[in-house]
Amino acid sequence: MSELATVMERTGLLSPEEREHWKMAWLSTVDHKRIGILYMVTGLVFFVIGGIEALLIRLQLAVPNSTLLHPDTYNMVFTMHGTTMIFLVAMPVLFGLANYIVPLQIGARDMAFPRLNAYSFWLVPFGGILLHFSFLAGGAPAVGWFAYAPLSETPYSSQSGVDYWALSLLVLGIGSVGANINFIATVLCSRAPQMTLRRLPLFTWMIFVNAFLVILALPVLNAGLVMLLIDRLLNTHFFLMPGGSAIMWQHIFWAFGHPEVYIVAIPAFGLLSEIIPVFSRKPIFGYEFVAGSTVAIAFLSLGVWAHHMFTVGLGHTIDLFFIASSMLIAIPTGVKVLNWSATMIGGRIHFDTPMLFCIAALLQFLLAGLTGVSHAVAPLDWQTKNSYYLVAHFHFVFVGLIVFAILGALHYWIPKMSGRLLSERLGKWSFWLMVIGFNMTFITQHFLGLAGMARRIYTYADLPGWGWMNMVSTVGAFLMAAASLVFVWNLVVSLLFGEKAGSNPWNAWTLEWATTSPPPHENFRALPPITSRRPLWDIANPDRPDPVVGSRGAIDQFKPEKNKTSIVSFIISETGFFGILILAFLYYNAVPQSGPNARGLDLLKTGLFSICLFASSFTIWRAEASLRNNHQRKMIGWLTATIVLGGIFIIGQGLEYWHLFKSGITVSSNLFATTFFTLTGFHGLHVCVGLIALLILLGLALAGDSKKKPWPALDAVGLYWHFVDLVWVFVLSVVYILPRL
Amino acid sequence: MSTQQFLLSAWSWNPIALIVATVSLAAYLIAFGVTRRLGWFLAALLIFLLALLSPINALADGYLFSAHMLQHILLLLIVPALLLVSLPRSFSFNWPPRILTHPLAGWIAGVGAMWFWHYPSLCNAAVSSRPVYAVQTASLVILGTLFWSQVIAPREEERLSPPGAVLYLFSACVTCSALGIILTFSPITVCPIYSISAADPLAISNTIRSTWTMTPERDQQIGGLLMWVPMCFIYLGAIFAQIARWFGEPTSIQTAA
Amino acid sequence: MNALTVLDPQSPQARAIFHLAIVAGIIFAIVFAIVAGMIVYALMRCRWREGESDPKQVAGNKTVELVWTTIPFLIVVALFILSWKTMGAADPPPAPEPDIVITGHQWWWEARYPKSGVVTANEIHIPAGTPLSIRLESADVLHEFWVAELGRKMTTVPGHPNNIWIQSDHPATYLGVCSEFCGTEHAWMHFLVVAETPEQFQAWEQAQLAPAKIPTGQSAMQGLALFQQTSCMNCHAINGTAATAGVGPDLTHFASRKKLGAGIADNTPRNLRRWLTDPQEVKPGVKMPDYQFSKSQVTQLSDYIETLK
Repeated sequence: MSELATVMERTGLLSPEEREHWKMAWLSTVDHKRIGILYMVTGLVFFVIGGIEALLIRLQLAVPNSTLLHPDTYNMVFTMHGTTMIFLVAMPVLFGLANYIVPLQIGARDMAFPRLNAYSFWLVPFGGILLHFSFLAGGAPAVGWFAYAPLSETPYSSQSGVDYWALSLLVLGIGSVGANINFIATVLCSRAPQMTLRRLPLFTWMIFVNAFLVILALPVLNAGLVMLLIDRLLNTHFFLMPGGSAIMWQHIFWAFGHPEVYIVAIPAFGLLSEIIPVFSRKPIFGYEFVAGSTVAIAFLSLGVWAHHMFTVGLGHTIDLFFIASSMLIAIPTGVKVLNWSATMIGGRIHFDTPMLFCIAALLQFLLAGLTGVSHAVAPLDWQTKNSYYLVAHFHFVFVGLIVFAILGALHYWIPKMSGRLLSERLGKWSFWLMVIGFNMTFITQHFLGLAGMARRIYTYADLPGWGWMNMVSTVGAFLMAAASLVFVWNLVVSLLFGEKAGSNPWNAWTLEWATTSPPPHENFRALPPITSRRPLWDIANPDRPDPVVGSRGAIDQFKPEKNKTSIVSFIISETGFFGILILAFLYYNAVPQSGPNARGLDLLKTGLFSICLFASSFTIWRAEASLRNNHQRKMIGWLTATIVLGGIFIIGQGLEYWHLFKSGITVSSNLFATTFFTLTGFHGLHVCVGLIALLILLGLALAGDSKKKPWPALDAVGLYWHFVDLVWVFVLSVVYILPRL
Repeated sequence: MSTQQFLLSAWSWNPIALIVATVSLAAYLIAFGVTRRLGWFLAALLIFLLALLSPINALADGYLFSAHMLQHILLLLIVPALLLVSLPRSFSFNWPPRILTHPLAGWIAGVGAMWFWHYPSLCNAAVSSRPVYAVQTASLVILGTLFWSQVIAPREEERLSPPGAVLYLFSACVTCSALGIILTFSPITVCPIYSISAADPLAISNTIRSTWTMTPERDQQIGGLLMWVPMCFIYLGAIFAQIARWFGEPTSIQTAA
Repeated sequence: MNALTVLDPQSPQARAIFHLAIVAGIIFAIVFAIVAGMIVYALMRCRWREGESDPKQVAGNKTVELVWTTIPFLIVVALFILSWKTMGAADPPPAPEPDIVITGHQWWWEARYPKSGVVTANEIHIPAGTPLSIRLESADVLHEFWVAELGRKMTTVPGHPNNIWIQSDHPATYLGVCSEFCGTEHAWMHFLVVAETPEQFQAWEQAQLAPAKIPTGQSAMQGLALFQQTSCMNCHAINGTAATAGVGPDLTHFASRKKLGAGIADNTPRNLRRWLTDPQEVKPGVKMPDYQFSKSQVTQLSDYIETLK
């Protein structure tokens, strides 16, 4: 293994001093560059796994009536393929790239929270292992990557595969939220002074916008997963008959799932927006429109999920509204495609490998976008939904756009990371193999879908045309595998023997190229002046610099305190989680359930305990005020009062639970009990977390830590505590008061 | 009554609305005179009257929940926005009490108005009682003005910064969407008065049920969807305007030496 | 039998969708040609040649942006209106009472004709030229009913019945599939839609309503006895016998059907024997267990079942 260390040292991934303990140097790293690389390597490992699964799928489907795989095996393989590629490949690799590049592009020394960064990363391999552990525990999930209920419920999937699936996605979801809170805080709080918000490079801008999408969307999935797990493990009926609703799962899943598509697409848009201008030797056409359309896409993507449900029978009324909103997304997306194209027109295009991948991505995404609109047109979706036409469409997005953009970006930035250029010759080989293989595989699938081939079938009858089209598709998949092997070979060879890259091999213009390749631990020795969006262009072309992007002072230079920023972002994400649980409560209790219901709750007692909780918001506010006025002992007093009041609330809730248990009401009694315990239970859990945080603060304060100025921890915990109290206002109204009116 | 007859005949002459419109037009002309922004003010008045005098109002008056929702959207979002745009740029909203100019107050006004008036018994009351209806109408316009003044107040310095405004509008959009989602998928009737077709003064019930194929469930669904989707588009439109404001400000052109 | 394809509509409903697809397809093709044309133009004409310096730095153009935001918007509005119109034609509101109730099971389709009382499985007969209203239900998980030539697909959701119309212009047989993943044998959840002349359809209905004939052959009679003695009865119904369970497909007129095991094999005596010998060998994962019948039992059962015309 020490050869590996040698290689790493040679490629600048290890400093000579770290040679002795090189494993620890990497495993315990909190450096954003190393974490970025770890993310990408993890993604690559899972890409191999998911790729082998893809090849198994294509082998099985190569000929009609195939018996290569048992149907259950096939179903596990495609479920794992989808889950792996989305959650363990696309997201980690994109977050890894962002991790490496964003701090460099904004002239920061590191991410805002290096240790949170490491934590978020380590959740990825952990989640991945958890998911794959299901193979040993009786079989992987075989329910598709969106695990539609009731198939994913215990009566129809009795083995623990789905449990591992849900747990692993929960873990990965928490990791993603952590990583993206970090991106928000990094972009807002760690920018170089001259890097105003309107001068951000487009990749950074899109990662920043995307981070909001992640923290809004992932918690929705987490809420759904929690409900699914409660169904499976505690025998309840959120999504099962009688009483439960299979459609509810689809709403929750796609309220996450559609933004998820953009969560992986927007960073890819960012990659294209970086690379196409550099190799066209022109600035991006319409920066404002490319940046603004990203915000439009992010917002719209949150409100279009029901177009995944056009065939589930929501009715034409609902369908019509979602046709409209879904098709609208095409507009900002189209604006992007047109701006990229316009960037190339009038440029002097260099056809290096990164650019080749981006051009292919652009053209393929154009087709993917158009077939996407055909899915927004509900009547067409009624025919093409769940067919191979749909499979082809989303692979055109996920592979045609995202994987191609990632490959382009890797060819573009690996010289920065390793200090060595990749081989152009091998790069072009892998590019052409990839383009030919990809289009063979997936263009064919459009026609298979139109010929009536449903997705997720493990084999098919020998219908006219199906056999040869599937065979073409399979051959294409193997060409893609060959392309990937060439790429990995290129990576290995170039890391060892590649030409030295120098700090700016592509004559690019953003800040990451202003430092050495690989960058030093602290990223920059000195930053160049930044007056526009292309600081290095301005230096290289003093005769024709970019127009200065003005600063309007406070807003452009907006730099909030990072602890507060992160806790506010966290609160935003929690809102989504509780929002879903509250909506679920309202939905399932709109008509009072038979058996126990909300009228049986003791409003008076709960009201009294609630007053304690609300009072604790006041006490912590006083504690903050005391700290500001430097009254240490008063502050400690108010802090203690807060803990006591919070403790009383928790004890009160415990008593209420005990009372309910004694009268025979448990989480599986009926849907009222299920939603009641889920909602109040998760709130209680948050109160407990808040109490632990407050106790830690109290301990620190007693030890004298709060005498340090500033002491942002109290503000951060205070915000969180107010949020927990605010959630209780809603829970109290919805659960206790509303049903009595 | 057929659809065409209905659309022609269902105009009401609500004297209070007409008086309010006339008086406010007079007040506008006296205060600001004839300016280039008068057009916006006339548009606001036109939509105000459209919401209150046209067949929309006739339908909202006990027939269709969705028409009632359309009326709400016009009065809460469109009319106040046009009003604010029609004011001269020097006009200040910085009046006491100061609390009304706080963003949180504006946010609660805009979002609260929607939630408040869709509590079942209040929703019923607004249809069955004229005074409650008048209060509702007035409150929608006033609260809407409070809401929008944070974003499009005449004076630049009284507006939120673009990122702040985006957050303000987005959170309002999400909160209204939540209500829209509840209305759309609710298994119960939110505003029961619309589902009992007892009185039918305009003799239009049949047309609505058979020609328009509108059932009470569908009606509530459309109402919910109007609040969920088009209303969000209004907020989104405003968000895009904020993004344009953010990127669009003239960048001073200097040539670095 | 027609091959399964979206591009060969055989009913007014499917044609409405197909016509929209053609219009939309033309729009998409034009958009693709223009944008891809722009890109290809750039690739051909704007190549960098050795020694050239960087070109003029153009940062954007607001008019152009406005134009290419407006045009897609107009296209979207047009597509929206077209979709709206098509939805009514392709998926009219349901009849008050359905003509057929179809229930998705893991992994077969149950079809009931409430007006006549016919119960069958995996083979739906309809009179050509007449639209029939179908109610879709599910007995377990989500399934999806899809006959590509005849119109839209629709999910079957437990506790949430859906409705569609089915119609065929002329007599023909169509292949239908389940298109929503529903577990192990999702791939073999086919069904046939047999459109017949009205007379043939009526004759079929009459035949289906008749109870099963009492077999006359020795072996077949033993088969019936075996059927009624063993677990067969726990799941299957045969009208006219003691078997009335509704867990598996109704077998009253099994032998009149063209396919076996929801499309996995032709309904031939040989395939039936294979099925009875070990259903798991024919269709792995199917809910019917392997009862380990002896060879003679298989013969008796299949002799009996073959009489169920």
